[in-house]
Amino acid sequence: MMYVIPEDIEFIVPVDLREALELINKLNNVKALAGGTDLVVDLKTGRFKPKYVVYIGGLKELRYIRDNNGSLHIGAVTTIQEILDSKIIAEKAPLLRAATEKFAYWQIRNTATIGGNLCNASPAADTAPPLLVYEAIIKAESVRGSRLIPIREFFKGPRQTALERDELVTEIIVPYKDLENSGYSYFKVGRRRGYDISLVAVACVVKVEGGVISDVRLALNSVAPIPVRAMNVEKTLIGKKPSLEIIEESSKLVVYDISPISDVRAPIEYRQYMAKLLTREALLEALKKTGVM
Amino acid sequence: MEDPVKILEKWISAESYIVVGKDISRVDALDKIFGRAMFTEDYFVDYMIGNALFIKQVLSTYPHAKIKGIDYKKALEVPGVVRVITAHDIPGENQVGYAIPDQPLLAEGKIRYPGEVIALIAAVDFEKAFKASEEVLVHYEPLPYVLDPLEAMRRNDILVHDERGSNIAFTTRVRKGNIEEGFSKAHVIVENEYRLHHQEHAYLETEAALAIPESEGRVTVIGTIQYPHLGQRIVSRVLGVPASRVKIVAPYIGGGFGGKDDEGPLVCAKAALVAYLTGKPAFLIYSREDSIRIHPKREAAIIRYKSGADVNGKLTAIDVTIIHDTGAYANRAPFILWRATMHASGSYEVPHAKVDGYAVYTNKVYQGSFRGFGNLSIQFAAERQMDLLAERLGLDPVEFRLRNILKEGSYTITNQLLDHSVGVAETLKKVAENADWWKKREEYKKFNEASQRFKRGIGVAIGWHGISTSRAVPDWSNAYVKVELDGSVVVYTGIVEMGQGSPVSSHAQIVAEALGVPLEFIRVVQGSTEAPDSGATHASRGTGIGGIGVLVAATKIRERLTQLASRILNVDPGEIEFRDGRVYWRRNPEMGLSWRELVREAYARGIELSATGYFFLPKGKFDDTIGQGFAYPAYSYIVLIAEVEVDTWTGDIRVLRVYPGLAAGKIINPKQVEGQIEGAVVQAIGYTLMEKLYFDDKGNIVNTNFTDYVIPTAKDIPEIYKPVFVEDKYRYGAFGAKGVGEMAMIPGPASIVNAVAFALGVNITFTPLTPWSVLELIGVLKGRCST
Amino acid sequence: MKVKFILNGKPVELDVDPRETLIDTLRLRLKVKSVKRGCERGECGSCTVLINGNPVVSCILLTIQINGAEITTVEGLVGDILLEKLAKNFIDNGAIQCGFCTPGILLTAYAGIKQGKIKKSEDVKEYVNNLCRCTGYVKIIEAIAKTANEVWGHER
Repeated sequence: MMYVIPEDIEFIVPVDLREALELINKLNNVKALAGGTDLVVDLKTGRFKPKYVVYIGGLKELRYIRDNNGSLHIGAVTTIQEILDSKIIAEKAPLLRAATEKFAYWQIRNTATIGGNLCNASPAADTAPPLLVYEAIIKAESVRGSRLIPIREFFKGPRQTALERDELVTEIIVPYKDLENSGYSYFKVGRRRGYDISLVAVACVVKVEGGVISDVRLALNSVAPIPVRAMNVEKTLIGKKPSLEIIEESSKLVVYDISPISDVRAPIEYRQYMAKLLTREALLEALKKTGVM
Repeated sequence: MEDPVKILEKWISAESYIVVGKDISRVDALDKIFGRAMFTEDYFVDYMIGNALFIKQVLSTYPHAKIKGIDYKKALEVPGVVRVITAHDIPGENQVGYAIPDQPLLAEGKIRYPGEVIALIAAVDFEKAFKASEEVLVHYEPLPYVLDPLEAMRRNDILVHDERGSNIAFTTRVRKGNIEEGFSKAHVIVENEYRLHHQEHAYLETEAALAIPESEGRVTVIGTIQYPHLGQRIVSRVLGVPASRVKIVAPYIGGGFGGKDDEGPLVCAKAALVAYLTGKPAFLIYSREDSIRIHPKREAAIIRYKSGADVNGKLTAIDVTIIHDTGAYANRAPFILWRATMHASGSYEVPHAKVDGYAVYTNKVYQGSFRGFGNLSIQFAAERQMDLLAERLGLDPVEFRLRNILKEGSYTITNQLLDHSVGVAETLKKVAENADWWKKREEYKKFNEASQRFKRGIGVAIGWHGISTSRAVPDWSNAYVKVELDGSVVVYTGIVEMGQGSPVSSHAQIVAEALGVPLEFIRVVQGSTEAPDSGATHASRGTGIGGIGVLVAATKIRERLTQLASRILNVDPGEIEFRDGRVYWRRNPEMGLSWRELVREAYARGIELSATGYFFLPKGKFDDTIGQGFAYPAYSYIVLIAEVEVDTWTGDIRVLRVYPGLAAGKIINPKQVEGQIEGAVVQAIGYTLMEKLYFDDKGNIVNTNFTDYVIPTAKDIPEIYKPVFVEDKYRYGAFGAKGVGEMAMIPGPASIVNAVAFALGVNITFTPLTPWSVLELIGVLKGRCST
Repeated sequence: MKVKFILNGKPVELDVDPRETLIDTLRLRLKVKSVKRGCERGECGSCTVLINGNPVVSCILLTIQINGAEITTVEGLVGDILLEKLAKNFIDNGAIQCGFCTPGILLTAYAGIKQGKIKKSEDVKEYVNNLCRCTGYVKIIEAIAKTANEVWGHER
């Protein structure tokens, strides 16, 4: 009541995905509404003023978690809590589960969706770091057909994605096969122990084969305009024998992967420092889980 | 027996109590559980949708500007808009300043902070009011502005209030003894500048008021207000009608903590103004953003504190300067500053004291009441100093405090003799034992030597808080009690229920005790100007002082019924008992009659069963020019010991355990008191570790929502131990009660910071201890992280 | 826009403005007063309701989003054994102060215990994160943990 969503926004509730795709193809200046935990606030406060809002959160066909050939297929409007509660996720993509565990609080997790979290494209998106690590593939559909977007190409800037104007994210594909038998870790810091927007979060997976690091993937949020992979760190570790020294040294390189700012939530110095610290800790923790360290 | 002093004495000296001192459940609990307890917006929902006009406030966007004109023609053209109201429309006086007449209800001539209210839009629904508010064009002539209190003190070219000729709104001082002499006797001297920050109340219910015009030019306002009778005075002044025509009702209030003491009368006045001018009911509710922008905050403070102690570990002198960032309007600044000034010593004997206080205007949101009322920041400074002095003297902090602690016969820094009710020393000893203080100090020292990453600390701090109003400012208690023919009892009090529970638990308990009737017989009509003016529900006075009137009134009725029962039973009136709804002869409980029968008899025999209870608190003389004399009728004391763990890698502080101890006179309801302590401890943790208002370079608050003004959640709390109660009864309190509500907030930040300073081995002079400021303190980060 | 839902066991059919949030539909149209307006951006939990048994915040949920769902508020749980247990423990333990957050916390705790997510004390902090500014949470957590123990204790 105390905030007003402009009355010239038209809300449309399609009955199925086809109608939804037709609508966004036909109309201009559309926002897709899934759970709405970000979008409804943005509509209320005027951050976004679309002409149309198409509600896709009720489309049952976009709400599922399936395991298929070494990849998890998660419907775009699957809620965060459903992911957190899912046995398949816990088993196959425990890193994603770890991030959803620290995602806001129960009420929000019951409403917020994985597709919404990605499409909102907040630099602090909680599901982004683990999905970057899994090298998830985002399935975008339109009346023209569908295409697969690697998550690293999905985020274009704060609140900006690679989606075309007529496209909807319908599925998130999480390949886990390559990362079986690897160690993972997730760290997130906020301004309090209870739920908060991430000040820095790090997701990490490490695989050790034959005594050397055969695969390592690190991703962070809230330290750049978009959630990022720490390629500089990863590059120096690949093929190396895990040791405290190499972890210490390589984690410092994360500063070349990030470009944090100071805002009302935290100063740049802290974000830079914590990115390094959490990168190191994430690597150590993940390696510990592999049993190597 | 109708003399209130005699009545108070009688109850304090009673050998035992029936319900007082017991964990009685609140009478409002079930209604709150099922959503039946009516809060202000609920009245709008149930009765006024479609009838009441909706009010939207137009707020200033500048820190300091002349208002050249307000053009609201376009706003009036928005369909559904009924009226736009500005300062010109106010029929009475546009003056709501609390201590100093410096504040308009609606801006007039110029605005002095971003968020100041300029106009009120009244429309048939919220959306139309909202739309119209965007059509109001305020023509500003921006003025240079000043945000920093130190700069504001120096400058006379930028004046927040031109007519005052200076930005110093108010000054206070204490001059006791001779500090040169005191410091010359000192073996160690410690000097620091402390910086404390603003705090937002963050009550979950925002401010709201529903005003209903009635016949004969009367108006009734239901609103979120901690002092209905103050609201009545302000509304009456703004409307230019006699106070008798204004009725204010405080329904259930969703948290106050002082914020609704200041903003309550204003939100009521704005709704009343619209109702009065339009002849229609009017409803105003603040959005969270508006609430944070508009209402007064806990003051930011700069405190320069120098103190010395001699070789025997006795304080010799303090020299203190207190600067409060008062913001745009004085509001309660003089009272807040006086409280800080008179408590500047901490709860210790100090022979020589010099304290200077300055309340300084700036172009920011203004300061107001918030749990602790000026006392949190000064106790922070005083208690940090105590730890630093103890360290320099090589004394244990508890031991050093005990050597200086106030006791019966002590004189305060205002040279007031404390002749009774000073239980702080005993409380400190007991809490230290409870917490295993001495052992843990040693243990943590060893732990910290061995541990690289995690450091542990334990810290102590004491709060003392004068109860009632300060100095000779009048204070009284007043209530009205009547017994219905069926024996049920109605209590009228102006004390409001905002969570603390004084009317819904302790007032009911007091009456149940005095009349020996079950709690379900009693209904408390709270928070209404239909009740006698009971004073505000602030300053921890709801039970201890607010309860006096209730106790006196109920006792008067009891006395009348005692006489009657003695005649009926033909026994000595001194041997009549009132208990469990029966009135009987103590020597033979079989001889008696039911409460209901006795009441019926009283009605039949012409005995009045209604009574008012009134008590005017005796006070002494105070010399404002040197800050010497009678400061407060008595003081409540609290001791907190906090244990923390600091992660020196991340800068994260975890408060592990808190041990409280309270010397607040008689504890009328231990469970409710525990709730007050726990709630205040957690608010203090919020203040110390995470809560902070951020201002931009134009004085706007940047974090005007709960996304970025973060307060503690269930995950952020420590283990809080059961409090130690030392019942140092106060002779003029109901059953000897003093005050509780604010207490744990006051030394909360100091206890945590003392523990952190011990853990890290560094001096800490500011709050909040965000992770980045901790990292800066220990040299891991460099820069501007602690600002 | 037409919406249908079940509110506390009773079917409701309404024509709502699609911009309307569920809190406004519940409070202003249906006069469900236990749903409290705290922050209006999903940060405090005062407006919690159960949708098909799961707690959600109704201030950032549009009413059109819950078409066809089953909504429960404390008003609909009068007489419910689990809620009565919670209520009793809240009252006995002094877990209620101003009461503004209370219905939202009760609903969250209710759903948590019912779903088996809250079985012991440590679970409470994971699932009940509604803001409360009065109590410091201590007595609330104790009351919920006690209730969970009464319900699930035998399984431990």
